[in-house]
Amino acid sequence: MIPRYQRILFWSLFAGIFLMSAFLLHGCQQAHKRLAALNDATPIAAPTATTTEDITLYLANDADASITPTAESFALPQAPTLRARTLLEHLLATYSLPASKHPLQSGLAVDDLFLLDVPANTPNSSHANPSEAKQLAIVNLRGSFVDNHPSGIQVEALTVQSIVGTLHAALPDVTGVRFLVDGQPHDTLAGHADLLRTYPAVDTTSHPSPPNENSPL
Amino acid sequence: MVVKPIYNRTRDHSHTLILQAKPIAARLFLVLVTSLAPITTQAQQSIPRTTIFLDPAHGGADSGARLSDNLPEKTITLAFATRLRALLSNSGFSVIATRDSDPTVPFTTDQRAEIGNHSHPTACIVLHATASGNGIHVITSDLTPPDDTSDTDTRHATPWDTAQSASISQSLTLANALGLALLHSQLPVLLTHASLRPLDNLTCPAVAIEIAPLTPSGGDTTSVSDASYQQQIAQAIVTGLTSWRRNQNPTGAAR
Repeated sequence: MIPRYQRILFWSLFAGIFLMSAFLLHGCQQAHKRLAALNDATPIAAPTATTTEDITLYLANDADASITPTAESFALPQAPTLRARTLLEHLLATYSLPASKHPLQSGLAVDDLFLLDVPANTPNSSHANPSEAKQLAIVNLRGSFVDNHPSGIQVEALTVQSIVGTLHAALPDVTGVRFLVDGQPHDTLAGHADLLRTYPAVDTTSHPSPPNENSPL
Repeated sequence: MVVKPIYNRTRDHSHTLILQAKPIAARLFLVLVTSLAPITTQAQQSIPRTTIFLDPAHGGADSGARLSDNLPEKTITLAFATRLRALLSNSGFSVIATRDSDPTVPFTTDQRAEIGNHSHPTACIVLHATASGNGIHVITSDLTPPDDTSDTDTRHATPWDTAQSASISQSLTLANALGLALLHSQLPVLLTHASLRPLDNLTCPAVAIEIAPLTPSGGDTTSVSDASYQQQIAQAIVTGLTSWRRNQNPTGAAR
């Protein structure tokens, strides 16, 4: 004859095992649903069709200190800031290729890019027609890009001129370019090229000529 | 030097203004020395003295570019400036330099420009070195020269950040003269432009000389620390400055 207290203990333990099994089963199902939600590829926004377009990259060459416009086909987003940022990332990624004539380290270079409208009555604005939209591009470079950039007047100036020329070609409304590093003003790119000034957005194509014997001294 | 006025009470209780004797004597001595120096030099060499401002870039905690594992840019610029200074002095130039050692707290770029602008030199040379490129880069400011037709009033204030813009044409002439001298010395040279402090803040004809390794095609690379390479560059710069000074001032008058 099994004592009564042993029967009560047995059924209590049995009920506990059943409840714990049910709890574990429920937890497994919840975890499965959560992981499945992460892999959900259901589209939320409507897809946009982007075709490649002709862009002009102003490519630097350390050997002769030149900046040469080079046409390429590349898919760019339509939003101006995204467009400019993608363009600069593509430009600077070009310099990390093995055949680059202006070698830079690979990695993300541009953190953000902002386009600010320039008021027509500011002292720096030289536009006669106030109806024309003029913008200032603010390029926020990553600290890692600046830290790994080669140091030297010419090599730094070529990077800056390459960025300015490429932005000028892609965004004609941009009249000036300023630089930040990790969101803060920064003295120089890598110890030399001035990053505190506003660079006029102009065609930076250049092919330095040798010293001229006939130039008046 | 600051001359402090001192008010002395005399026996007749009147106040008289006297100046500290030592600073005055020192100032008079400096004036005497500086006024006699050109005379003696002219008598010896018949070449007018010209003041050259030299700025060996970086220094102290700012070591500049890392040219090799244990060779910072500041060491090369100082060594080259010392070499160039000696050659310039031997050729009859007066030299003002922003540093002749590696100070713990170096001048800022603004302070360097202030020293250059206060001394009214005939030419300003900012010295740099790099591990990128080949040969010597002679760099002028990429500021835009002022538009003479739009503003005939020359009394307007010059912005500090664009102080060099008024001297761009002279700086280009100086860069060309230095470039020619370097070419004649069989050294590869590139004339370029860049935005650089203190170059943009100097009011004199100014260039930056950036020394890069010598990498001839098919030959051995010569390091920027090579003494004979530095001597060759320094000698060419002195030749270029002499030629530039002669053409700038054919009558022989000097600052």
